[in-house]
Amino acid sequence: MTTFAEPQAQVRPPEPRTGRTVLLPFIAFAAALYVIGYAGEAGPVWGLLIGLSTFGLFWWIKVTRSFVDGIVLVVASTISYSMFNVVVASREIGVTSGLAFRAALPIAIIGIAAGWVTQRNSGGTRVSTIVISASAWAGGAYVALLTAVAVGVLDRVRPGQTTTQLLTFGLFIAVGVASGILGATTNVSFWLGKATPLAVGGGALVTILAWNEIGFSAYEIWVKLLNIGDFLGEFWPPQFTWPKSLGQPSSFNMGKALIETFQIAIVGATVGCFVAAPLSFMASRPTAPNAAVYWISKSFLNLVRTIPDLFWAVFFATAVGFGKPFAGALAMIMFSLAIMAKLLSETVDAIDLGPLEAARAAGATHGQVIARAAFPQVLPNFIAYGLYVFELNIRASVVIGFVGAGGIGRLLDERRQFFRWDEVMAIVLVIFAVVLVIEAVSIYARRRIA
Amino acid sequence: MTVPDLAPDAIPDMARPAEPLAPKVIKWAVTFGILIPFIWAVAGLEVSPSRMWAAPGQVWVLISGMFPPDFTEMGRLMTKLLESIYVAWIGTLIGAMFSFPAGFMAAANISPRWLVAPTRAILSAIRAFPELILAIIFIVPFGLGPFTGAMAIGLHSIGTLGKLTSEVIEGVDDGPLEAIGASGGTTMLRMRFGVVPQAMPNIVAYWLYRFEINVRASAVLGLVGAGGIGAEIVARLRFRGDWPKAGAALILTIVAVLVIDAASAAIRRRIITGQPSQSPISKWMTAITGSHRDPRLTADPS
Amino acid sequence: MSRIQFTGTTVTYPGGLTALKDVDLVIEEGEFVVIVGLSGAGKSTLLRSINGLVPVTGSVTVDGREVVGASNREIREIRSDVGMIFQTFNLVNRARVINNVLMGRLSMVPRWRSMFGLWPAHDKEIAMQSLERVGIVEKAYVRASDLSGGQQQRVGIARALAQEPKVILADEPVASLDPVTSHVVMRDLQRINRDLGITTIINLHFLDLARQYGQRLIGLKDGLLVFDGNIKDVDDDVFRGIYGRAITPDDLVEGRR
Repeated sequence: MTTFAEPQAQVRPPEPRTGRTVLLPFIAFAAALYVIGYAGEAGPVWGLLIGLSTFGLFWWIKVTRSFVDGIVLVVASTISYSMFNVVVASREIGVTSGLAFRAALPIAIIGIAAGWVTQRNSGGTRVSTIVISASAWAGGAYVALLTAVAVGVLDRVRPGQTTTQLLTFGLFIAVGVASGILGATTNVSFWLGKATPLAVGGGALVTILAWNEIGFSAYEIWVKLLNIGDFLGEFWPPQFTWPKSLGQPSSFNMGKALIETFQIAIVGATVGCFVAAPLSFMASRPTAPNAAVYWISKSFLNLVRTIPDLFWAVFFATAVGFGKPFAGALAMIMFSLAIMAKLLSETVDAIDLGPLEAARAAGATHGQVIARAAFPQVLPNFIAYGLYVFELNIRASVVIGFVGAGGIGRLLDERRQFFRWDEVMAIVLVIFAVVLVIEAVSIYARRRIA
Repeated sequence: MTVPDLAPDAIPDMARPAEPLAPKVIKWAVTFGILIPFIWAVAGLEVSPSRMWAAPGQVWVLISGMFPPDFTEMGRLMTKLLESIYVAWIGTLIGAMFSFPAGFMAAANISPRWLVAPTRAILSAIRAFPELILAIIFIVPFGLGPFTGAMAIGLHSIGTLGKLTSEVIEGVDDGPLEAIGASGGTTMLRMRFGVVPQAMPNIVAYWLYRFEINVRASAVLGLVGAGGIGAEIVARLRFRGDWPKAGAALILTIVAVLVIDAASAAIRRRIITGQPSQSPISKWMTAITGSHRDPRLTADPS
Repeated sequence: MSRIQFTGTTVTYPGGLTALKDVDLVIEEGEFVVIVGLSGAGKSTLLRSINGLVPVTGSVTVDGREVVGASNREIREIRSDVGMIFQTFNLVNRARVINNVLMGRLSMVPRWRSMFGLWPAHDKEIAMQSLERVGIVEKAYVRASDLSGGQQQRVGIARALAQEPKVILADEPVASLDPVTSHVVMRDLQRINRDLGITTIINLHFLDLARQYGQRLIGLKDGLLVFDGNIKDVDDDVFRGIYGRAITPDDLVEGRR
């Protein structure tokens, strides 16, 4: 009979504190703060309470890492934070749920995203890291709630929008720093401590700033949706033909404009792709002739890629003359060049280096190695990318007409300036149809090649 | 030892095959298929040699007119630039929020057929409208301003992100899904513990990638009055005396886009590989070159 | 005159690894040489020092021409006389067989013609003859990826032959092949050596193949030349010495069946 070795003495780890016992008092505490804040009671005790609760919260998150608790905490703080916003909203613009949404949802998304930023770095399982980072966010949101309540109180004592906003911004920076402390005190790697505040703090800050700046409101969208009939009437029915002789500068008809758009796209894609091909090989490590050429071509391509298509159009329209399709073609060349070179050079990065070595061993020059051993490997990709670039060019060349670079965009801009929304609608529908057809053809062709 | 004698010692008598015709035909068809439309297009655009010849000079006049850039309106430009970035951010958030469920609905390995087909059709229809055109339409109900720009970018992002999300979801390993199903998991549980953990890093990376694209797009939307720095540049280019100011705006935009791209690329790399960049220098190099080998880091920019 | 002469040849890679240490060796014209050694012993490096694909110091001469310190043009001229066959075939999978074989002609045709694939008829004829010599001319217009492993390696041999080389270097030519195909490829190489008198140097790690086809055997261990002699003088003890361990079935192509 087989005898087994004596089992080693095993020690069961103590069960982590589930925290539900800790959670309940905290929820009660938050509710109490909320009620008191709403009632408008304020005093020096506030600061102390907020500080204590914040400290306690982080301590609590550190000792408990239970999934259920994480969920409960997230939900609880989301609800309480939303409630706070409802309060503010009701005070400022009358009762809407828009403000509540606008504050809580984006932060929730950023919190989850931050969780994934840190996900791989933790020693624990995926689930546990999600919980940690979600808790980090929840903690942040919770602190936000507490401070915002305090600010709301201050605001009532000393009214002023600016104070509120400033404090809100500062608050979110504080959230980031606090999350950093949290990250540093939990037993995940050092990087979590840096990434979390960056993601949470930065993301939340940008969102709040942006939301304020743009004046976004779910309420407004909702109201507009309710009255959708009013503005649909402006667009409907679309006018596909219109008289030219109204003293308007309409020298265009739709067919002609569409043809011009196609011509711009064709010239842009063709020239751009064929210029991009040699550049891609220069900007890819396995095929670059030397380091200097590699860096220079790579930097050049990155610079070209940075500038949006419409800026190229403005640029060339200014240089070679407004309203000239030639300017549009030049812009589309730069646009195509950037996309093609990026896609192709990344493909070249991944080619099989064996044939290159074989060609070199046979005494081929660098140019021959590229032309005979590297290029054939990426030729199908080159064609597929070319079709894709052409498809993008059609979309882009519709748009560049807006800045005086010719094509159907110019027509669209012209009709828009006369507020002829029905005619705009007709042009939009035509563009829509063209883009869909081109996309379908391009996808079909690319599938055939692959 | 015996080995089947597959290679007779003498050179075998073997007929040489005739060169097949089809590849040649295709080669010529493709050549003309590119060349003829190209010639037609060039003719239609009235690209005369003299104009081609003059273009570099004209471009140089413009570039030299922009330098040295005039940064006297720096504060105003920064405000506009920030507005562009805000619009892109909010647009991306809208896109992320709504494309997430849409991506699940459009993923063939998760959703039933009757849901996948219409969702995909809707997403593809949304994608067909460029942001600029959406902005023009939205100006009617929402008026001029950044709000309209954010709505336009957000809607377009739903289309693109929805497609990418569904592709990521379709690409997940179905082993864990099967395991969860085998242990009695419901569809919701399979998504929560089977799909989301696998797909989430890539999806978040796509959100960031979309943000990079949206920054470029929102810089442009100012042209139709949807806020941002685009209008500044165009307006400044109208008068030659303002060209240095246009140069300043252009430089600011390029710098902002480069910085955002670099930051986003670094974060995406970390999300996907889970590895921080090795050193500040290598990070800086990444920022300069934008080189990422991982194909997941380089999404289809449609 | 000796064909290939190594004098104090050392190869140190940029990472600092010295893969070949001070090798002195002469390979005569028309010889059929087999190099054995464990992986990492420097077999591939020795081959690649002959056509200058690795950073080599000391001296390597091919047909009296020095590889070390040669200009780009000179090194290309040496390479054009040295055909190479690879373990992983190194074919352009998407290209047709004939175009892969024509890569062997790259150093002989004008550059602009090779760029556009406008091969002179003379070079096409040589490519066809090379394919005939390895018996797969009927596959000339098939895509390389559509061939079996053994056929792909014969295309690789044809590519080397198309160079009309004076030397053929084969780097583990059968390591990716099954035993039967391995024998076919080895026999092709043997026949080419016999019929055309091309100096042939082959890296192998299958000892039975080395014994069956080799004439002269060179053993490498940790970058050092540890054995050089006629294959008839080689017994298992010699292999044990080169390998530094007992012979296992994995070292024999028959052992893999």
